[in-house]
Amino acid sequence: MAEPSAPESKHKSSLNSSPWSGLMALGNSRHGHHGPGAQCAHKAAGGAAPPKPAPAGLSGGLSQPAGWQSLLSFTILFLAWLAGFSSRLFAVIRFESIIHEFDPWFNYRSTHHLASHGFYEFLNWFDERAWYPLGRIVGGTVYPGLMITAGLIHWILNTLNITVHIRDVCVFLAPTFSGLTSISTFLLTRELWNQGAGLLAACFIAIVPGYISRSVAGSFDNEGIAIFALQFTYYLWVKSVKTGSVFWTVCCCLSYFYMVSAWGGYVFIINLIPLHVFVLLLMQRYSKRVYIAYSTFYIVGLILSMQIPFVGFQPIRTSEHMAAAGVFALLQAYAFLQYLRDRLTKQEFQTLFFLGVSLAAGAVFLSVIYLTYTGYIAPWSGRFYSLWDTGYAKIHIPIIASVSEHQPTTWVSFFFDLHILVCTFPAGLWFCIKNINDERVFVALYAISAVYFAGVMVRLMLTLTPVVCMLSAIAFSNVFEHYLGDDMKRENPPVEDSSDEDDKRNPGNLYDKAGKVRKHVTEQEKTEEGLGPNIKSIVTMLMLMLLMMFAVHCTWVTSNAYSSPSVVLASYNHDGTRNILDDFREAYFWLRQNTDEHARVMSWWDYGYQIAGMANRTTLVDNNTWNNSHIALVGKAMSSNETAAYKIMRTLDVDYVLVIFGGVIGYSGDDINKFLWMVRIAEGEHPKDIRESDYFTPQGEFRVDKAGSPTLLNCLMYKMSYYRFGEMQLDFRTPPGFDRTRNAEIGNKDIKFRHLEEAFTSEHWLVRIYKVKAPDNRETLDHKPRVTNIIPKQKYLSKKTTKRKRGYIKNKLAFKKGKKVSKKTV
Amino acid sequence: MGARGAPSRRRLAGRRLRYLPTGSFPFLLLLLLLCIQLGGGQKKKENLLAEKVEQLMEWSSRRSIFRMNGDKFRKFIKAPPRNYSMIVMFTALQPQRQCSVCRQANEEYQILANSWRYSSAFCNKLFFSMVDYDEGTDVFQQLNMNSAPTFMHFPPKGRPKRADTFDLQRIGFAAEQLAKWIADRTDVHIRVFRPPNYSGTIALALLVSLVGGLLYLRRNNLEFIYNKTGWAMVSLCIVFAMTSGQMWNHIRGPPYAHKNPHNGQVSYIHGSSQAQFVAESHIILVLNAAITMGMVLLNEAATSKGDVGKRRIICLVGLGLVVFFFSFLLSIFRSKYHGYPYR
Repeated sequence: MAEPSAPESKHKSSLNSSPWSGLMALGNSRHGHHGPGAQCAHKAAGGAAPPKPAPAGLSGGLSQPAGWQSLLSFTILFLAWLAGFSSRLFAVIRFESIIHEFDPWFNYRSTHHLASHGFYEFLNWFDERAWYPLGRIVGGTVYPGLMITAGLIHWILNTLNITVHIRDVCVFLAPTFSGLTSISTFLLTRELWNQGAGLLAACFIAIVPGYISRSVAGSFDNEGIAIFALQFTYYLWVKSVKTGSVFWTVCCCLSYFYMVSAWGGYVFIINLIPLHVFVLLLMQRYSKRVYIAYSTFYIVGLILSMQIPFVGFQPIRTSEHMAAAGVFALLQAYAFLQYLRDRLTKQEFQTLFFLGVSLAAGAVFLSVIYLTYTGYIAPWSGRFYSLWDTGYAKIHIPIIASVSEHQPTTWVSFFFDLHILVCTFPAGLWFCIKNINDERVFVALYAISAVYFAGVMVRLMLTLTPVVCMLSAIAFSNVFEHYLGDDMKRENPPVEDSSDEDDKRNPGNLYDKAGKVRKHVTEQEKTEEGLGPNIKSIVTMLMLMLLMMFAVHCTWVTSNAYSSPSVVLASYNHDGTRNILDDFREAYFWLRQNTDEHARVMSWWDYGYQIAGMANRTTLVDNNTWNNSHIALVGKAMSSNETAAYKIMRTLDVDYVLVIFGGVIGYSGDDINKFLWMVRIAEGEHPKDIRESDYFTPQGEFRVDKAGSPTLLNCLMYKMSYYRFGEMQLDFRTPPGFDRTRNAEIGNKDIKFRHLEEAFTSEHWLVRIYKVKAPDNRETLDHKPRVTNIIPKQKYLSKKTTKRKRGYIKNKLAFKKGKKVSKKTV
Repeated sequence: MGARGAPSRRRLAGRRLRYLPTGSFPFLLLLLLLCIQLGGGQKKKENLLAEKVEQLMEWSSRRSIFRMNGDKFRKFIKAPPRNYSMIVMFTALQPQRQCSVCRQANEEYQILANSWRYSSAFCNKLFFSMVDYDEGTDVFQQLNMNSAPTFMHFPPKGRPKRADTFDLQRIGFAAEQLAKWIADRTDVHIRVFRPPNYSGTIALALLVSLVGGLLYLRRNNLEFIYNKTGWAMVSLCIVFAMTSGQMWNHIRGPPYAHKNPHNGQVSYIHGSSQAQFVAESHIILVLNAAITMGMVLLNEAATSKGDVGKRRIICLVGLGLVVFFFSFLLSIFRSKYHGYPYR
């Protein structure tokens, strides 16, 4: 499907003469590759047909080239939106419209609560189904932006009598917002460079896997809308620095407010913007515009961000926000000194200036340290601290280290998520720094900080992706501008014409006067001695090839890596047919139907949200890992033997235990593979009872077969996973009880339970549920009654002999026979 | 240590001899009486123990880790009357042994022993010692030990059990882990105090002073701060370091490259997509930089002034860099993602 449209697009671009048509063709080709079906690709080609004459009109000097231009940009943005939307639908088409993974289930559940009970009820919601017996104040511990957005869309649609289920709104929210993200990326890049780069950036971000990974249909998570809010806030910030108008700044604050309500990553904004201001001050680029923008932003943004219940007073009480406050104070001092400068002589001012600035900086720094020391300001929280001290989490917070998203990033994942963009965006950064101005300082800082964070944590690749798209777009657009644009000039020799067009093309770009003038001069020269059409077309073609490969890669990655709901699994047979493994939902539905409404289900924390969302049962721990000791208690129960575990489970009122077991189908994400983390987390809280080394063989291996350590073979998790598995022969080539995930024959095949009984096992054994028995009325002994070892030396021998057959009674009372009184005598 | 230990013992004995007739005579008499009553064996044992502990305390006042040879090992660690725990590191530190792990482990062990030695909780219940292979070969043979470094704990009573051997393979030899293990075995909690790593601070101070000095020397001509090329170079270096996974190397500490022990082939590229070698990340760094340079050159060729032939060459070189190195990068990626394209 992808192949035929590729030469077509190349063909088109070489035919067209304007740079915009080249971009257009790019948009098409990308879209062509991206549609989930061939039909979609045709539609895209069809959609692209009408604007085709546009470039001709542009170069031919039609009456209103600006009109054509905006039509073209509009079409490209629309197509980017469409391409982004449709490439995120793989999961829906393959499986169904379903919420993915773990966290989205909680978001969905809260959104459902919001939609059915109303906003205020949602804010006051105390969820007694989570963290039994503690419960959770949901309204005060979530970023409500996502739920409110989805709830609002649902409400509007229903008010318009378009009846959509809240689930569908949730499923399609992230793909819809990806379109908004690409538009805000376009706006931001246009502010930074020019419109062409903006369009390319919009196309890039629509399909780049680094962003798709968090925004496929069904992945109903904070990041899906937060990246839009992030980009839009940055756009408005750049705009307000450029104009210095309070209007734009207040818009920026509102967008920031939305971001704060949506994602904890707002901390990135509240540190990056002050950093930008600070660097501008260092570069002596201070101006009234910066002063107005930052002062307004800090004050209004601070007040707005404190309106979110979950954030509350954090912006004035935690270290993460102190940089912003410090820069605010510094800026005021700087502005005051600037004001004084007009009233003082130069010599006086210089001494005062240095004194004043260093005093202000020192005072701010010392007061922050003092306040931190005395406890008014909370120190850096563990998650943030681990970004700076990279070894911190591994030693101190196993629960953070256990999450795979918090691992550092290899080059492979960079390349996997960004492909060609990761190699070319440094070039864009280079161009930006070489032609620096106020807003390019911002993008350079954004790039450097984001690339650092992405290097430390895989998860933060998400914040890097937008800036990579923007800078690569700048690099590519620079190349295309020179190598496509000159072609045109060769056809239309007059110099005035090209310069005229250049002016028209950059109407919004006047601020960048220095850069523009330089370009102007060089272009004039180029027309005198160009590089020649051959070289230019070769360069263009090869660049387009690279972009085409990028599009293909994006499709491949999206379809293969990021479009699995992980609630429903799929396996492929040799002939390509697909089996759907729906064990999770089967088991959760069983729980929903067959257990008491208030039954408490114990499982590892990964499955907490799904149990709450799908089975609607009370869980002990869930994915909001706020209470480490509670999780450690569950981990301890899972890793102790049955008797010890039963005690813990009784104290926690557990009714059912749920484990995930992948040994039958070879599913690698099951609980035995996660088991060492349970042990580690339990060991962190209960070092006396659980020792990690007990679960390894003397050689230091983790084995489930006969050579495995006896502690492992008798712990609750092992027993629950492999109960009766020893009786099952999966394959004639393997012995019974052969675990396909770990490729080993299990070591303990004779598993018996005393306090538990198997309640449910799903079709492929993926989910196993056990019922915790109530204690017996009278405890039965599982051993024989104790027999004393004092054996009588001489056994009692019967005194019976054959002669004296009659028994006798020792010390028998001798009765004297009385005489019968006869009546007669009376 | 061994040479120095012997005279000290002699000196001690001499001192005791001198004291005996005068001060402690009545006490000794009492003791003697007691001994006669309780039996000579007990007394001898206690005396021996006291002597050993005194000896060890004497040593530990001078250094935190004692070097043991075969005789001392048997006397202080093997021989029964003990009321102290002894942690022993069996190692091979001689340069000709070429054991780099031993040296790293030794550093950690030193840190741990020093933290114990200078902590307020220091007492005569726990001592640290080491046996070098070249000084106590017989000890190694006696314990049937064939790998170094190994950490063992010798409890006050009885023989060391299985858990008394530190699981080096799995836990590693960080001082904190060792302290945890010791706390587990002996109930002595050592708070590891790492001497703050001044090298970073010194390097920073040097850098700052260097930059400051440079600024001061060139204070009349500060134009170079505004040199955009320099700043651009610095930021590109950060970007390349991060995108090639240097941070991963820093955190995970992979080997530089892998040498196949069977055929001696050295592989620079890790076969799995989950990991990487240091050499590999350097290769990627160079490739990324080359592609970026190609893009910049393409732009240079189009915008710079100068004669056309030269610009054409620059253009072609730039294009070649981009295309060639990107294909190279792609093929490395493919070798890590087996069956990568389009399936």
